Amino acid sequence: MNGLKFVGHEEIRIDGKPKITGAAQFVDDLDFGPGLLYAEIVESPLAHAEIKSIDTAKAEQMPGVVKVVSGKDFPFRFGLYMHDRFVFAQDRVRFVGEQVAAVIARDPVTAKKAAKLVKVRYRELPAILNVEDALKPHPLLIHPDLKSYKHVPWFFPQANSNIAHWRKVRKGDVEAGFKQADLVFEDTYTVPRYAHCAIETHGAVGLFDYSGRLTVWAASQSPFTQRNLFAEALAPLGLSHKDVRVIAPFVGGGFGGKAGVSMEILAAALATAVQGNPVKILWSRAQEFYNTYQRQGLTAKTKIGVKKDGAIVALEQTLHWDAGAYVEYGANVVNAAGLSATGPYRIPNVKIDSCCVYTNLPPGGPYRGFGYSEFLFGLESHINETAKKLGLDPVEFRRRNAIQEGDPLTYGSKMNPNGLIECIDKAARAIEWSKKEQSENPKTVRGKGFACFWKAPAMPPNASSTAFIKFNEDGSLNVLVSAMEIGQGFQTVMAQIAAEVLTVPLSKIRVELPDTDRNPYEWQTVASHITWGTGNAVKRAAEDCREQILELVERALGQKREDLYLESETVRSRSVADFALPLRDFAINGIMMKDGTYRGGPIVGRGMFMPEFSSALSDAETSQGGKPNVHYTVGAAAVEIEIDKETGRVRIPRVALAVDVGKAINPGLVRDQVVGGLVQGIATALYEDMRFDAKGRLLNPNFTDYKIPTAMDVPERVIPILVEVAQPDGPYGARGVGEHTMIPAAPMIANAVENALGIRIKSMPITAEKIALAIKSKR
Amino acid sequence: MPILSEFEYFKPSSVREAVRLLSKHKKPAVLAGGTDLINNLKEEIDQPDAVIDIKGIKELSGITYKNGVLTIGAAVTFSELLDSRVIQSRFPVIAEVAKTVGSVGIRNRATMAGNICSAVACADSGPLLAAYEALILVRGSKGKRKVLAAKWFKGNKRTDIKKAELVTAIEIPLPARRHAGCYVKLGRYSGEDLAQASVLILALPGKQYRVALGAVSPVPVRASKIERLLNGQHLSDELIAKCQALIPGLISPITDIRATKEYRSHMCQVMFARGIRAAASRFSGNGPEYGVNLI
Repeated sequence: MNGLKFVGHEEIRIDGKPKITGAAQFVDDLDFGPGLLYAEIVESPLAHAEIKSIDTAKAEQMPGVVKVVSGKDFPFRFGLYMHDRFVFAQDRVRFVGEQVAAVIARDPVTAKKAAKLVKVRYRELPAILNVEDALKPHPLLIHPDLKSYKHVPWFFPQANSNIAHWRKVRKGDVEAGFKQADLVFEDTYTVPRYAHCAIETHGAVGLFDYSGRLTVWAASQSPFTQRNLFAEALAPLGLSHKDVRVIAPFVGGGFGGKAGVSMEILAAALATAVQGNPVKILWSRAQEFYNTYQRQGLTAKTKIGVKKDGAIVALEQTLHWDAGAYVEYGANVVNAAGLSATGPYRIPNVKIDSCCVYTNLPPGGPYRGFGYSEFLFGLESHINETAKKLGLDPVEFRRRNAIQEGDPLTYGSKMNPNGLIECIDKAARAIEWSKKEQSENPKTVRGKGFACFWKAPAMPPNASSTAFIKFNEDGSLNVLVSAMEIGQGFQTVMAQIAAEVLTVPLSKIRVELPDTDRNPYEWQTVASHITWGTGNAVKRAAEDCREQILELVERALGQKREDLYLESETVRSRSVADFALPLRDFAINGIMMKDGTYRGGPIVGRGMFMPEFSSALSDAETSQGGKPNVHYTVGAAAVEIEIDKETGRVRIPRVALAVDVGKAINPGLVRDQVVGGLVQGIATALYEDMRFDAKGRLLNPNFTDYKIPTAMDVPERVIPILVEVAQPDGPYGARGVGEHTMIPAAPMIANAVENALGIRIKSMPITAEKIALAIKSKR
Repeated sequence: MPILSEFEYFKPSSVREAVRLLSKHKKPAVLAGGTDLINNLKEEIDQPDAVIDIKGIKELSGITYKNGVLTIGAAVTFSELLDSRVIQSRFPVIAEVAKTVGSVGIRNRATMAGNICSAVACADSGPLLAAYEALILVRGSKGKRKVLAAKWFKGNKRTDIKKAELVTAIEIPLPARRHAGCYVKLGRYSGEDLAQASVLILALPGKQYRVALGAVSPVPVRASKIERLLNGQHLSDELIAKCQALIPGLISPITDIRATKEYRSHMCQVMFARGIRAAASRFSGNGPEYGVNLI
């Protein structure tokens, strides 16, 4: 693929300047004039309780209060994959912080004061705060009506239980596999809940105007999905999809937290209660922690069977997910992890049970990595321990079992082309894997850790992307797509793809942020699928423009169609050397004929991409059949750490991550993803941890006690390695990379700690305290 | 996040006026840097009827050094302490402490006087003032008084301050013409954090030492037992180990979300060993630079 002029080049990100100068506007920056109203939420103080009564009289009497609403005003359920979430709690609350009522007032202080006057009487129910309690025989049911909830066909809720979905994978014969193994061993690994911690908290403004139009401005990764869910949930009010418009200005970080619909439903619903006035709802940092989505907790029981020569012959994974009070999105995390819990290995006999368990903790949901970080912590720790028991080098052990193109996946279809072996070798080499590092300081010890990773986009089989490209009079372009710029640089990448096809420089391309009225459909900016899916749509839209252009030149000027091509914003011909028609001469106004009439007109390209080969239908008991995943992105990461044996503190002199991106459309942005992803992943390994008290209250909904890394906590050297084995159906061979750079971090650190100290830590996070106390108790 | 409660705001220009306002109101709050107070107002932990802003009082600003005594005005911020020449040259460990308080933005507002008035157990100024045997200068309607740091802290968030009194300054006497110190603070990562445990050590001529521990008891702990063991002795590994063994008996750490008592106790011992060696070698002129994190 030589001769690419834009793709594969390190173009400067096009959203950089507006963000640095402050020109970029975020939801809270938008001006809605003096009619703007403010909403404050009345929250449940209890993890599990029946609502006996709600008395809003006092709040309603307060001057400045416009309206007080509660569950009776919006008796609607909604959800992305399962309709189990409520706009406002109905007869019961299911987690601390759940929205019970809302006060809408003329200013935020009045709204807050009045919210304190809403009296809610509860009858407390026993709270189920962990998976073990939720799975006991005859448990208290958190969702007694689970059976009647609407859900996607690939979910399997279990009647009369707290199991919202159970993904079973059965491949080969796992018992026979264990029998033929020379070594079988089992262990349990636990991962707590985590928060996304985007710098911008959630916020949304809703306006239901007198024409019956509902507009929501939201900090969002998913404007079209939000439009769909708003329209679905509020249909009883007479709204249909055409009436709902979602506008998404710049977003201050998402990491999955701003996907789907969480608090945004409130802006949509509340707007309908105060027709004519915009109403704003802005989450505080604490609410950001406990009432959006959290990364789900996981208890993973992993059992492996291996031959002496290092071949993995059987794997059994029992994954119990603490999915929280509502699983409308989180159950699909459980599903995706269940389908892929073998990791990137060739294993003939597999049994996976991935269970989505309701608890009375805040709703779980999407978080960068979508379940893979969680199960990889246990699996990649276990792989290391297995290699150790076999006396094999852990890198060599992984290499021997690494999945390759054409190998059967857990659900039967074949693995895509990939450079896993190349990634393993390059990551190992980057940190001089085989060289044992000696620490000069007697108080410290060095160790190295390794982990492989893979991840597929978790999307419905019909998740689609669309693009419009509009030419302007001067030959510049507006690219209309509805993916979201969440820091990954997607606008720049889309511009590069359009530029490559149309030979128009990036300085003449704007990629617009989503507005569901103006921009065409996009499913969501999640699953690391935008470069691939939306990239394909943009490429097709650009090709559509090119075809229109060349067809017009042939038709108007009689040039031979097959000789025409674009170069530097000009139509040229291979057969007529001096033919050169700049795009700006006709892109809007067409080409004038001798008689003064015109041919052509505004060039508008359209491109759509839906993975028509994907299917989520498969056997409920085995997951065989179907092709739920479009492809996997694979890679490997390696780290060298230094541990202070007295304090337990971990320093990271160097870390390398090799990932097969298919094609790096913008290598600089991909390398930045590697740095950002590793830092985020290492933070979950070393510092972050959500803690709840015995009543289900989150103890650290703040940055005082929920520790995300500062500039002083990042690795000293990050070595990004980009491997390019083309994805046949990707734009220029590209596949997704956004989430992948985070997911190997935790097991990689755990393995390095084990390598340095001989101590296996099986629960995240691996804090300095945990390490120091483990060293102490080992002595 | 808005402040919901209502109060009167005053910005007096003299201590006398401030004290008069303090005695006039039922539940006044003093505002200096506001890094604790504003959060407490937002979270309705404090609901004062009056907020008295002392940043406009000239006599509370400034750092002076006279006759062997360093005086830090109540409105002096941690950033000012960090930048002070006299502190850098004569009391560098004060700067070492100041550097660990919050982040730059916090240090630009927060004051040492505010730190000891909030008097949380993890206050960084606690062990420092205990070790220096500092005096807290207080003015009330009945006049002035000076309180020794050891008597100032009465418990977690409790001090010796009486109704309608204002802290005006902190006096730190130079303990010896030549001395060195070391502050070691335990946080959960390298970024800013509240101390989970802290150790402050002063090394004085004649192998004399002062040792104070923070965040492992409701009030700063002056480790006199350890000082007696150390004083006049050569700093051997054996002696340090003996001192370390005394530490668990001197402190009463808690287990909370930030750390377990086991780790706090263990780390006090580690930090003591590293701190005492650093302080001693700094005294001899060859220790690690001030401000370097030893853990």
